[in-house]
Amino acid sequence: MEGNRSLSSSRTAHLLSKIREVTKSILNDLSNGRSPSIAIDTFWNYCRNPNGSCSCEPDFPKGKEIVTLLRESHVHRLDVLLRVLLIVQQLLQENRHGSKRDIYYMHPSVFRDQSVVDRAINDLCILLGCSRHNLNVVSVGKGLVMGWLRFTEAGAKFDCMNNLNSAQPVPVHVEDVEDILSVAEYILVVEKESVFQRLANDQFCRANRCIVITGRGYPDIPTRRFLRLLIETLHLPAYCLVDCDPYGFDILSTYRFGSMQMAYDAKFMRNPEMNWLGAFPSDFEKYSLPTECLLPLTAEDKRKTEAILLRCYLQREAPDWRFELELMLHRGVKFEIEAFSVHSLSYLSRDYIPSKIHGLHN
Amino acid sequence: MILFYIAPVAGETSTLGEFVGVALGSSSSLCAKKKKNLSGSGMDSVRTIPDLCHRLISFAFQRCRVSDDLCRISVALVGSLLAGSPVVRISISDTGAASCLEEFQDLRVTDEGIFAEKWDGMLAVRTTGHSFLCYLFSHRKREGHHCEVLVLLLMVEYAAGASDEEVHYYNLNLKEGSSNNWLTRLPSITKNGVRFSGTEVCLSVSEKFEVLLGGIKQFVEKMLILNIPNIAFELAVQHENVYKSCYGDAFLPNKSMPSPFSASNVERLKYGLQDYILRRRNDLDNNLGLSLNALEHLRTGMGTICSSKTSGRQNPGLVVDAVIIICEFSDQTSPCPRECGHQTQVLYFKDFSPSSISKSSLSALKSIDWKSYGLTLGNIMDQGGGVSLEWDNLPPHTHIDVIFHCYQAEVNFPPSKQKVLSERSLLKKAAKLALDDMKEKHSGVLLSDRALKIQSHAPALARTLAGLILSSNDMEFQGECLSLLGLLTGVEAEIVEECVKDKINAVIELNDRKPERCKDSVPLLFEDDRLQEMNFEDECEEGDDSYDSLDI
Repeated sequence: MEGNRSLSSSRTAHLLSKIREVTKSILNDLSNGRSPSIAIDTFWNYCRNPNGSCSCEPDFPKGKEIVTLLRESHVHRLDVLLRVLLIVQQLLQENRHGSKRDIYYMHPSVFRDQSVVDRAINDLCILLGCSRHNLNVVSVGKGLVMGWLRFTEAGAKFDCMNNLNSAQPVPVHVEDVEDILSVAEYILVVEKESVFQRLANDQFCRANRCIVITGRGYPDIPTRRFLRLLIETLHLPAYCLVDCDPYGFDILSTYRFGSMQMAYDAKFMRNPEMNWLGAFPSDFEKYSLPTECLLPLTAEDKRKTEAILLRCYLQREAPDWRFELELMLHRGVKFEIEAFSVHSLSYLSRDYIPSKIHGLHN
Repeated sequence: MILFYIAPVAGETSTLGEFVGVALGSSSSLCAKKKKNLSGSGMDSVRTIPDLCHRLISFAFQRCRVSDDLCRISVALVGSLLAGSPVVRISISDTGAASCLEEFQDLRVTDEGIFAEKWDGMLAVRTTGHSFLCYLFSHRKREGHHCEVLVLLLMVEYAAGASDEEVHYYNLNLKEGSSNNWLTRLPSITKNGVRFSGTEVCLSVSEKFEVLLGGIKQFVEKMLILNIPNIAFELAVQHENVYKSCYGDAFLPNKSMPSPFSASNVERLKYGLQDYILRRRNDLDNNLGLSLNALEHLRTGMGTICSSKTSGRQNPGLVVDAVIIICEFSDQTSPCPRECGHQTQVLYFKDFSPSSISKSSLSALKSIDWKSYGLTLGNIMDQGGGVSLEWDNLPPHTHIDVIFHCYQAEVNFPPSKQKVLSERSLLKKAAKLALDDMKEKHSGVLLSDRALKIQSHAPALARTLAGLILSSNDMEFQGECLSLLGLLTGVEAEIVEECVKDKINAVIELNDRKPERCKDSVPLLFEDDRLQEMNFEDECEEGDDSYDSLDI
């Protein structure tokens, strides 16, 4: 703990120093009759090159955006960036934390939309070379965890093993998590809270030595960081269960490769060892689902699927995933995980998941 | 700059004859040492008596302009009633170079119905010049002789005007259809060894006295905008029924804002227009004393551009001068609440004479990117000879005055720089130069819509930057920042904000003055063209940030 605090304090001092440098640089330009220009690196964690021959280097900047005072489209961005910078300076100086939503409500008429604040925070992370939580900007975590796990967060104990099938919130300040202890054999990540609850009701963790996590849709940063911490600390395999549709696949990709929005921080968020457990398009025949469970892909589904297929990392790192995605597009149908309940309510926990894990091991 | 004032010229007991007499004053040297263009080109046909008078005054003006000496133009009107009809005898005289009678050929009437009963077509001309050389000039010109030869001939002629021993008398009948019979030479009189030059043109017309008088006054005021420093106008009026005695108006150069002889045409035009505007405002303000402080309300820009010869050596270059003035009067100081409307009457001069604007020039006015100067042009009203611009977004008590002067002149370009530009193109460029000039000289004036929008963020940016400085717990940093701003430590937050805001605004204004192509930095350096194909449409959202829009 002490080590963490000391590191955090030193990082905070470093960030405050960088903020002052940014401010001085702007004033220096203005005093010399020049427009301030703030160079922000751009990151992309994939390019659209399905043949896999791309030279994508996701952890390196691909270019620079120059935000100046001279372009109408930039000035609002600069205004927002500086307002958020001022808030961050205050948070760091006072060692307080605030959520993105808190920041939004400090100037709602200027920010106009939460996404504007999000972009400014991302810009600041790139500019200052840090992760979002280093700015003392945190999310209200929405991830849930259950299973064979015990840990402390800032000294507070969380013992999931006391009640194996009871959901606990994923810790928000992941950097304060310590003393992780587990006897689990694997980590199961599920896309949806409904599936998480199904597994809880079916006492899945009592029958299987595992940790179950859900990000409840697209995973937030604490969920992804916590998952990565568990994988790195416990050296456990991780399996991901998502709907058989393009959105499920995209969520799976976010866990494994990181998101484009936070590409600058992907190296700290991605989980390269993540395995796709299901549901595959081919599971439809394999598990004898009736055609009534199938839904046609909408035009938007198709467009999104085609866009995902172009991502270079699929060909390079997960060609088998790409094959399944092509199959889904070819068939033009999708289905949800809950569709397996057509056999029985507990089919998912008692048959589907164990058989899939067994299949992966063999 | 020329100041307008009204004063009796020769006392209340003076007679018209005296005025006419002094107009043919002495002149030391009339040799035209400069190559100046004598006559206007492409003039509109004369269709009314006021137009005829304007044209004759314009001729006198050109003769004065050619003369390098001080020159006076006198216009005398004697009004009376003959059998119930108004009759006005008009005398227009000048002490300029001698008349080239050919100039009157432009006034010859082909359609007798135009002037009907108002004028018999007769002009009585007295001049010191020798008309033979004028004809020689025109004939040689038609035959395509080189310009230098023609100018030499003119110089000889002007010299003859001063050194000639006689004053020549002519009667011109401009309604005479035959080209041979329109001119009658009358006996000359001797100059008795006195060295002078000048011309007097007399005619009698049947026209309302007030119409003529008002029109001539307005015309002379416009001519004065050209602000040729060696020319003074004099107007003498006598009417046996209306006025008990004669009176006169004098239009003289102003001592407080003199336009030096060395000033360029466009500089003179600038001073002339400023004076014209102030006179106009002053008149509307119940003739209150003209205040030089009023100049503070004028934002002036001028531009001049020229084109090389169109072809060969016979055509001189074309020059367009533009002056644009924005008057901003506060509610209290505005002397012209009625006048300061959102309309601009475009003043247009062609070869040193007021003229109607050409279609190509009108087209140029339409094509100017006014928006980049924060102006929104609404309608352009072409009212047959006069063009008005209607602005959509002028603030109250603001008025814009625009003047163009297009004239031929010898322009020497290095061969590599020779470029032939149309009048339309020249006018557009001259207007842009004038607008840029005003922008350069006057902070915060004519900012583009874009710059104004950017500036609207300046207070917020300044407040945030002041916050970043003053809320920092690093005192050394605060001191460094305040030092960069030229402020002392301990200064109030409002002062820091104001200082930062001023600097931001200065940067924005500076950038707005740069040419369009230089304004913006490259927004994305080292750009990977593959990135252009990317979008966030298929991008995921970040957990609890599900309200994030994906447009970033």
